[in-house]
Amino acid sequence: MSERHFTTRRGFIAALGFGAVSLYGAWAAYGAAPLPFGGHSGHKDAARETDADGHGGHGAAEGMAPEEFRFEHDFFVRKYAQKDGSVNPHADADAHGHEGDAHGGHGHADAGHGPGAATASGEPADLYLMAQKFAYSPDVLRLKAGQAYRFRMMADDITHGASIQLGSASRIIRLRPNVVTEQTITFTKPGEYLVYCTVYCGQAHDAMHGRIVVG
Amino acid sequence: MDTLSTSFAPAGATSRLTARVASLPSADKALLALLFGAALLALVLGLVGGAVTALARAGALTFLPDDAYRILTLHGVSVFFYWLYLIQAALLLVLAAAENGRGLALRPLAWTGAALMLAGFGVSEWISATGTPLLYDGSPELAADDPRSVGVFALGYLLLSAGLVASAVCGIATVLQPRLRGEAGEFTSIGFALFAWAGFLVVSAIAATNAFLPGLLWALGAGPFPADHGTEWHILFHNLHYLPLMAAVLVWYVLSEHLTGVTSIHGPRLSKIVFAAYLVFVPPTSLYHMFLEPNLSESVRVVGSLLSLFVSVPTLAAFAIIVSSLEASARARGATGFFGWMQGLPWRNPAMANMGWAAVNMMIGITFAFVLIQEKLAPMLSDTFFVPGYFHFFAVGVLTQTFLAALMVILPALGGGSLWRPDLLRRMPAVVTIGLLIFGAAGITAGFMGVPRRVFDVGYGGMAPAAWPLLMALVGVGATIFAIAISVTVYGVVRTLLSLRPSGGQAPVVDWRTGSRGVCAVPAWTGPLSVAALIAAMYVFTIVAFQLIQSLPIIAIGGGHGH
Amino acid sequence: MRMNEELWLVVAIAAVWAALAAVYALVPGLGMPGYVRVWGGGAVLFLGLAGVLVAVSRKAPRG
Repeated sequence: MSERHFTTRRGFIAALGFGAVSLYGAWAAYGAAPLPFGGHSGHKDAARETDADGHGGHGAAEGMAPEEFRFEHDFFVRKYAQKDGSVNPHADADAHGHEGDAHGGHGHADAGHGPGAATASGEPADLYLMAQKFAYSPDVLRLKAGQAYRFRMMADDITHGASIQLGSASRIIRLRPNVVTEQTITFTKPGEYLVYCTVYCGQAHDAMHGRIVVG
Repeated sequence: MDTLSTSFAPAGATSRLTARVASLPSADKALLALLFGAALLALVLGLVGGAVTALARAGALTFLPDDAYRILTLHGVSVFFYWLYLIQAALLLVLAAAENGRGLALRPLAWTGAALMLAGFGVSEWISATGTPLLYDGSPELAADDPRSVGVFALGYLLLSAGLVASAVCGIATVLQPRLRGEAGEFTSIGFALFAWAGFLVVSAIAATNAFLPGLLWALGAGPFPADHGTEWHILFHNLHYLPLMAAVLVWYVLSEHLTGVTSIHGPRLSKIVFAAYLVFVPPTSLYHMFLEPNLSESVRVVGSLLSLFVSVPTLAAFAIIVSSLEASARARGATGFFGWMQGLPWRNPAMANMGWAAVNMMIGITFAFVLIQEKLAPMLSDTFFVPGYFHFFAVGVLTQTFLAALMVILPALGGGSLWRPDLLRRMPAVVTIGLLIFGAAGITAGFMGVPRRVFDVGYGGMAPAAWPLLMALVGVGATIFAIAISVTVYGVVRTLLSLRPSGGQAPVVDWRTGSRGVCAVPAWTGPLSVAALIAAMYVFTIVAFQLIQSLPIIAIGGGHGH
Repeated sequence: MRMNEELWLVVAIAAVWAALAAVYALVPGLGMPGYVRVWGGGAVLFLGLAGVLVAVSRKAPRG
């Protein structure tokens, strides 16, 4: 009927249903639009995720088996353990800063990416964080501001979180058992950051936390 | 202020809906009363569990960890499964029976369905109270050393699913009766919505079986450990979100006609398309629940983020149909104020008040839902209190208030009594919304700050930000307010269910049907303005979230994941 | 038989769900077989409901 006002027409009503799709504009403005058009170049990425192949995200580390992770984790913790119980991958940077840190015939994933070498080359240093009921290993990590670290993380038993409290907000990380998750993280400010479980994991879930001390 | 001249229906007048409900066979009435009663019991249990949980998080109550998580499990199981599914089954059956005009078809199947669902209710509540706390998703990995808890928990949901299938089949058979009798060549828009909704209920049962049958088989020693439960749960979880939302919109259609006499000015075809759109749009939009999964491929993440933008299409379209139909009808009867036409709605009727405030809560809930569905923001918000902070606007503000509104209309017709103290009940939705605003504001802020959603003590040995306990205290205050207001409403509805004594007074309705002079000729701006306000709010909070995530003292770089 | 919009809508739902199930089934990298079962089961269900609509419209007495 031609005398219908456009606000009462079916086409207009149907179009209103799609109104929320216009939020794509906000996503594009922050470089977070899923499609190629809108906000990919010249914008600061939403979460400042700028991996080498052009997209952000947080995924399972391709190719690293759980057994390999466990081995590397154990080696990492043993190698960098401090007297106070913390783990400081920079503690022996002077002594072990050379590349090719092979151990007993095992090709470690951090070969060539030890903290000393990483600092010198600009490559991220490899870290290993294991979550298990109801603690992290290591539970205290001592790191440096401005240094990139490749966090390799895995839940050992059941699903956990390994989220990092950063003051005004957190970086939420979910870890599935026996799935190695990898994120490269650079802390830009010194401080003491809470690491805590954000996936309910049992009786002592509330107490499951650790620390990252960034100097 | 321009006001609308309304014609109030005379006291004692009954709508088509209430007349048909009142004339149902007594066997149907008994079944429906049983289901409504069981649904309300589940709501009460869930409310108590939720209020205690919120107070414990606020630090006002202290429990041993296992007990605290058992209470949280009882809350989730009672509300998200038994309240929402039992009330949906009951509403499907009563509306289908009213649509049929002659009661339920396949009545024995409906009774079988009710028996299965009630058995599931009992089993689930018992194991939630006594077993290893599994929360409402029943994750088997939490009780790998306690197969009994996993199996019995799964059995409860599987019984519920079987009952839902029986109820849905009964509902489908019932809405088909007028066509089988040759009285109708096609469905009404409500009839088609009931048909599609029933189908969706069956799919939800399939999703529940897919998620929980492996757990039962493992507990019986007849299958491997269900290691993929997390993924299977997400499918059910997504259905669990949108199935009751479709039901709520359908109830809005029914209540709008009952309260004002207005049906869609856009004709039944558009309404049928919108209800079908729920089933078209919901499945493809399910991936956003998985953005935090470490093994989700980048391509799925990108496609999932794009599709999630469409998740509100049917709900907003249905909202626009209802609001434009009401506004156009009101203006055809002489309403002239920009928003003044709304004053003519029967706000003194508690069902109208519940429905109106439900719409407000829906807009707030959608606003924050759209912050959560952005994949780049998931690493800041998923698994935090942001999630319960926003979804209580849906679960309590929209769904629970809408379904209680339906009960306020249906139960007096079903039992022959009258609505308990409508003047008190009509004030409750505003109080519920105030409570939700406090709960939601504190909870969403807490979520932005990273407070985890399932932790009772957020102190972390003094390492957590000082604001966290304060925000949780405010969450407790908000939860207490809306829990009290919902409890008053539930009490009123239960009194109504038990009431057999009709009173002279009826909750008021208006009749705008006769005012079709020039319907649609004048603008109806309320719908488009509401959607515009919604989009503006989405933009504001999305930008806030992006600004916040960019301000963090961290540069996070993905990599190493599959493509 | 009259093909009204109700039948088309139910068939469209079944088609969308079947297409989704097919994508999840045929792209192994997605790694989510549960989606195949649920959306595939839903597609079969709604195809069955479309059949019910056809049967009812054939069976209904002409008035």
